[in-house]
Amino acid sequence: MTEQTGSAPILEVRDVVRSFDGLVAVDGASFTIERGTITALIGPNGAGKSTLFNVVTGFNPAEHGAVRFRGKAITGLPPHRISGLGLARTFQLTKVFNAMSVLDNLLVSAPDHPGEHLVNSFLRAPRVRRQERLIGDRARALLDTFSLADKHDEYAGELSGGQRKLLELARILMLGPDMVLLDEPMSGVNPTLGRQLLDHIHRLRKEEGTTFLFVEHDMDVVMQNADSVIVMAEGKVIARGLPEEIRRDPAVLEAYLGSASRRRKGSDG
Amino acid sequence: MSSFILSLLSPAVLSLDFWISVVLLVGIAGIFSLGIQLNAGSSGLLNVGHVGFMAIGAYTMAILVVDLGVNLWLAILAGIAVAVLTSLLIGLPSLRLRHDYFAIATIAFAEVVRLFAQNARGLTGGNQGKSGYDGAWRAIAEPMSAFFVDLGWTDSHLLPLAIVTWVIYLLTLAGVSYAVRTPWGRVLRAVREDEDAASALGKNVLSYKLQSLAIAAALAAVAGVIFALDIRFLVPEEFLPDFTFLAYAAVILGGLGSYAGVFVGTITIWVLLEVTRFLDLPISSDRIAAIRFILIGLVLIFLSMRKPEGLLGERREMVLRHD
Amino acid sequence: MTVLRSDKRLTDSPSILRGGHQLGPLIFFLLAMAVLVAVLVALRGPLPVAQTTINGLVTGAYFALGAAGLTLVFGILRLINFAHGDLLTFGAYIALATVYLGLPFWVAVIASVLITAATTLGFEAVIWDPLRRRGAGTLQMILTAIGLAFILRHGIQLIAGTNPQTLGVDVVSTFNVGPLTIGQTQAWVLIAGYLVLVLLGVMLRFSLLGKQLRALSDDLDLAEVTGIDSDRLILITQALSGGLAGLAGILFAASVGSITPNVGFFLLISLFSATILGGVGNAYGALVGGIALGLVQEWSTLVLDARWKTAIGFVVLVAMIIIRPTGLLGQKRLVDR
Repeated sequence: MTEQTGSAPILEVRDVVRSFDGLVAVDGASFTIERGTITALIGPNGAGKSTLFNVVTGFNPAEHGAVRFRGKAITGLPPHRISGLGLARTFQLTKVFNAMSVLDNLLVSAPDHPGEHLVNSFLRAPRVRRQERLIGDRARALLDTFSLADKHDEYAGELSGGQRKLLELARILMLGPDMVLLDEPMSGVNPTLGRQLLDHIHRLRKEEGTTFLFVEHDMDVVMQNADSVIVMAEGKVIARGLPEEIRRDPAVLEAYLGSASRRRKGSDG
Repeated sequence: MSSFILSLLSPAVLSLDFWISVVLLVGIAGIFSLGIQLNAGSSGLLNVGHVGFMAIGAYTMAILVVDLGVNLWLAILAGIAVAVLTSLLIGLPSLRLRHDYFAIATIAFAEVVRLFAQNARGLTGGNQGKSGYDGAWRAIAEPMSAFFVDLGWTDSHLLPLAIVTWVIYLLTLAGVSYAVRTPWGRVLRAVREDEDAASALGKNVLSYKLQSLAIAAALAAVAGVIFALDIRFLVPEEFLPDFTFLAYAAVILGGLGSYAGVFVGTITIWVLLEVTRFLDLPISSDRIAAIRFILIGLVLIFLSMRKPEGLLGERREMVLRHD
Repeated sequence: MTVLRSDKRLTDSPSILRGGHQLGPLIFFLLAMAVLVAVLVALRGPLPVAQTTINGLVTGAYFALGAAGLTLVFGILRLINFAHGDLLTFGAYIALATVYLGLPFWVAVIASVLITAATTLGFEAVIWDPLRRRGAGTLQMILTAIGLAFILRHGIQLIAGTNPQTLGVDVVSTFNVGPLTIGQTQAWVLIAGYLVLVLLGVMLRFSLLGKQLRALSDDLDLAEVTGIDSDRLILITQALSGGLAGLAGILFAASVGSITPNVGFFLLISLFSATILGGVGNAYGALVGGIALGLVQEWSTLVLDARWKTAIGFVVLVAMIIIRPTGLLGQKRLVDR
């Protein structure tokens, strides 16, 4: 285990390559993320952002390149191991456990629960029950924070879209990770709810030092919330910097306009 | 109405011995179906090869006792162990696959076991059957039987086995339905609902699926061993995929995911099957058998299409489930 | 229609419109077959190998026809239909009934194909279509298929009984081609079977309908998005699948000699095997897989006792699932991670 000094980046992505069916989705992407920052990952459609997320979190293996988290190489580790190391993620299409109660959704997210080994539930029942009480209290507190308390017994699948987003975030909090990758957290979300989510994100960064990397298309959200912006296009990182710098960067404009003009050509032809 | 139905049945139905044999069979089917509920109901695993584990348990025990002179009780434990090991071997490559591929892999496995039992004649007796393994059981069952005869009950030699079976059944039923309500069971359900989300929360999805499959295999092996002691004569024909399908019918009828449900469903299906065996209709027994299975098929289709939550399941939950 | 989205990999990408089936595994497999033949000839001599190859081609014919039907409806049903084997049995018994009524054999064949196709359309209308519209999950579909299989199989048993019955074709007469002996019925099965297979292959490759069917079976959602009239095509696919199954059943009955209500079910696993070998959803794959499986099964009798013949299919299935679940001609899409 490498010793992490305060100044070392929490996430390092180096020369990652990943293709599907012969098409290269991520073509040598590299960047680092500093602890306690909120970074936005932007880029036109097809830039490889989601694929990159999948590679970093272990859902798709990288063909080339390396990813280090908190100094430890995580390339090639399965998703559950990477999550266990403190790197969590949300999904573009909100994934909650539909046929389970909202409360159960939270309870199952608690890490390192002895009761999740079957033997313990039979042989170490008091310890398991104690943990259940502890996480039960935490879960209920979280439900209050997210105004989901009255829904605790409902099936998660019956929640509204916005409530599901909140639940997904609440689950991440139960997990208590060091870093969270959010895949389009604002998509399909009304402004009030969006404000709520962002408030929670900023609060977490401030109180727990949690690092965030999120994919986002809404430039206003990016400008107002990101410390730093990474721009991807055609599988590569083409720019990195402060939001104001990125906004004026000609390469970034080209990437966005270029793809827009390609689309226009296509519709004329 | 009931007297009309009764008149359709042959008098054999009214005997105590018949009902003891039914109770025994229901107990065996109950232990067997418990595994299906754990797999398909609680874990979302489409294990359609369950009868293969039953056959492995039965035949391993029989071969060890008859060919190697192993003590019956040790052989039973070995049968369960071999079934569990096999489930891990099958599970490792196939549990990562889509649900219907996994289903095919499991049914292929079960048929391989049956074909092996049919063709490895030296080892398994093939279609001629294997017997002679139940000596040690008879040794303790006979005194028990004698005891019941003294009480003036019945001389059915199946009564001791039926009692033992139901003790085991109730214990395993309690154990499994408890396990499903523990934090472990919660992870299992989360894995069923969304594997990616469960992985992202740090759960080792493959490990949980393997555990579910292994426990089910153990249950099937127990059912197989008891079944072997019941019929006293093992033939591969007893381990057709149909038996797994009947368990699914019981699970669906009772309610997918409900352990009270599978209890009720198993009793319903098997009592129906056994009682209708004695329909006193002027047609051949082959055709009566066909009618029984057609009924089961209709029940399956009806439940799947109209009432997937069965008798005791939750409709809302069924609608929301991802499988 | 997103029945199985959660089952596919996170960043799934559509395949068939991209083209580019990998030929590597197929070539490797063909080489392996060639090596196998060489070894068998060395062990047993060319004549037994040639003789079993004929048997293998006969078996391969009905395997291929059955697997083709299975694979074509895979894209529609989103699952590998457990009731398909019983459609073969059904077809065989319809032929039996037609012959029993005194009609000539060729009438029996046509009647069987048409009636099986019509019955399959019936199931589509009454069972599969409602389930699909309701977004039924895999478990529901499989249980329905199993229930349907029960009803088909035991319905046949109810009407026809369990005793083996024959189509009354001549299984004894043979003729010689050089040193080889071919049964008259075998020859007929080979000609009819391969004629249909070739026609099927040609239709799939060159006709518009064929292209649409291939697109549909490979990826229903994508096919719909590209403007294919999926409702009409679904009916055509089901009818075609049923017809092929009926024909396969007759070929089986003719070549094996006698049938019982259970034959289709026991063939089913071999059909699964052929389908998966070729790549589920890939129609050519089913043809290749069926023929290959038939050959390997018959060749196995040169080195193993004949009673292990059907186990070969199962071993191939298990091996494919472990090594390459997408099959020889399939894309790497069907595995969870």
